[in-house]
Amino acid sequence: MAVLRRVRDVTQSEFQDFYQAKRDMCLRSVLASVGDRALAEDLVAEAFTRAWVSWHTVRHHPAPSAWIVRTALNTRVSWWRRRRREVALESHLEVAATENGDAGLDVVLLAVLRRLPPRQREVIVFRVFLDLDTKTTAGVLGIAPGTVTAHLSRAVATLRDQLITVDHLEVGS
Amino acid sequence: MSTGDTDSTAVLDAVRGSLDGVVMSTPVSQIVAAGRAHRRRRRLIKSAGGLAAVTALALAVPALDRSSTAPPEKRLSPQAGSAHVTVAFTLASHTDGTIHVTWNKNRYFQEHAGLQRALRHAGFPVLIKEGVFCRGPRDDGSLDPSGVGPGVARVMKGERKGNDTVAFVFTPSAMPAGKQLFIGYLSPSQLAVTHGNPGSVERLVSTGVPLTCTTQAPEPNPR
Repeated sequence: MAVLRRVRDVTQSEFQDFYQAKRDMCLRSVLASVGDRALAEDLVAEAFTRAWVSWHTVRHHPAPSAWIVRTALNTRVSWWRRRRREVALESHLEVAATENGDAGLDVVLLAVLRRLPPRQREVIVFRVFLDLDTKTTAGVLGIAPGTVTAHLSRAVATLRDQLITVDHLEVGS
Repeated sequence: MSTGDTDSTAVLDAVRGSLDGVVMSTPVSQIVAAGRAHRRRRRLIKSAGGLAAVTALALAVPALDRSSTAPPEKRLSPQAGSAHVTVAFTLASHTDGTIHVTWNKNRYFQEHAGLQRALRHAGFPVLIKEGVFCRGPRDDGSLDPSGVGPGVARVMKGERKGNDTVAFVFTPSAMPAGKQLFIGYLSPSQLAVTHGNPGSVERLVSTGVPLTCTTQAPEPNPR
């Protein structure tokens, strides 16, 4: 019995370390996909909760942080009532985020990011925000490493163009 | 390192830095507490599965025993205080004639046929489909930006309850004559196309007439 308790304590501590280390990057990853700060936090908290429940499985995942992000985004699909509110906010993303006054959130860049095609955005999320390598990203997304590289390259090109345009607009305005 | 690589690194650094100030405020103790509650609920749901089987059996026996000449209204009338428990949702018919349904948000997609059946049994005319969107020849097809048609708010009101559930109150008496509620969930593939937005469409459609259905998810089209 004492042995069982010790094992439980170790896995608890392991989960807590994982949470402390990865929670912010998971939040940023999900935020980049959903564009709503409060929703992103709810989704990530829900995903971590599920990870805690199934920690014996999740801890063996090749990239547990990727599991969190995928779970959070899948959860979003089922949160239909919440999502409806987002639809109404979607076109006013910049205004909504600014009104929230979320310090440290670059609203313009977030909006540019959200305009990327979904696959390119996913690659950015996993490669940049979760800091996964190409091979792991490919494994998580179920695509070839070369495809990851191609998506990343296209995403960078689009982001570069968009950011330059935004900079010019800011200068010109 | 080439200029292109430098540019790419700069762009990716800018992207990474754009959300640097965003930090998770939920403490780990809250996650663990929610996880424990989740486990408890799972145990309860397992028990409820057994209860649902028993309830279904109990409902089936009187149905078989009922005379075929009994008026259909009688068969469909809500029973005061009755509650049917299933894995994905609970449905309770209240004495004021309203029907209260609580969904498990994570499983509603899997149970829409059961939900339709339960709502109809409770006296609420509803048609629920996934990936298919229907309307009658004279129905108002307009939708607000959240995917809801005119008149729906009178017969169905929703609210979020906690992290895992949503609750809805259905009012059969507010349903206009000759109408039923249509709920069309986007299929997983349609959700992918629309980046997950929106999840469902609700509108009032006619009963007793052929409905025109399409797999094309309707766009919001306010009047």
